Amino acid sequence: MLSEFDDRPAIPLWLLAAAALTMMVHLYLIFMWVPTEATMGIVQRLFYFHVPAAVAQFTACFVGGIAAILYLVKRDPRYDDLSLAANETVLVFGLVNVGLGMLWAKPIWGIWWTWDPRLTSSFLLLFLYGAYLVIRPAAPVESRGVICAVVCILGMADVPLVYLSNRLFRTQHPSPVLGGGPDSGLAQPIAATLFFGMFTIMLLWWCVLLVRRRVARLERAAEDLTRRSHELEDLRSY
Amino acid sequence: MVDPNLSWLFWGYAAGWLLIFGYLFWIAQKERTLRKKVSELRDAMEERWKQKKA
Repeated sequence: MLSEFDDRPAIPLWLLAAAALTMMVHLYLIFMWVPTEATMGIVQRLFYFHVPAAVAQFTACFVGGIAAILYLVKRDPRYDDLSLAANETVLVFGLVNVGLGMLWAKPIWGIWWTWDPRLTSSFLLLFLYGAYLVIRPAAPVESRGVICAVVCILGMADVPLVYLSNRLFRTQHPSPVLGGGPDSGLAQPIAATLFFGMFTIMLLWWCVLLVRRRVARLERAAEDLTRRSHELEDLRSY
Repeated sequence: MVDPNLSWLFWGYAAGWLLIFGYLFWIAQKERTLRKKVSELRDAMEERWKQKKA
């Protein structure tokens, strides 16, 4: 049961090397290469971590949601493991996204938080995935996968709402800088650093996902072995 | 002159990286514990099978 992944590293070496290298280049671009933005000054450099973390968070929502749908269709526990791994990374990268947003908001807006549509929908997204992680260990084992898949699909459905919130409503959060109409757009070095950052954080997210999926499979293996051990114990007692 | 907002930038990046690498460290620890548990459970199962056969 465990032998198929026992000795292989969770993250392929090429991926680990690529993630480490791009992280170093990304930091160089942020702190040494890209010019300081004229209006907000140095604190705007949080943008190059805040937005890529949001991109990783949304990708994780979709990966987790699609894996949950596949689990409901095929009932293959591997999809449930992938969904769990992706959903936990939603929370990690979501906390980075929201946390960095708050640290950026305080010096620029003068407040840590406001209940505007973008921030509220982001909070709701984090809350849903937090609920997923609370429900999972509490749900009955036989229906756990199904219950968690439903919560996860609900979470995925909130992603378009978060994305569109600053397009559909007036928000304290800035208007979209990419694809946001004729007034949107980024200077070339800022756009280059942002896109490189997205690539870097996606590689990092992929590494985290692979490690977490391995742990999810180990958790399932431990659970199966414990159950079988109890069954064997019961047989012995007859 | 040091920019007054430098500390926000520092804390932002420090918190972000700490969160991600802290999480990675936590799951690596969890993997180690689970590997040990699975190995112990396997050994215990084998032992019980031997006892059952005997």
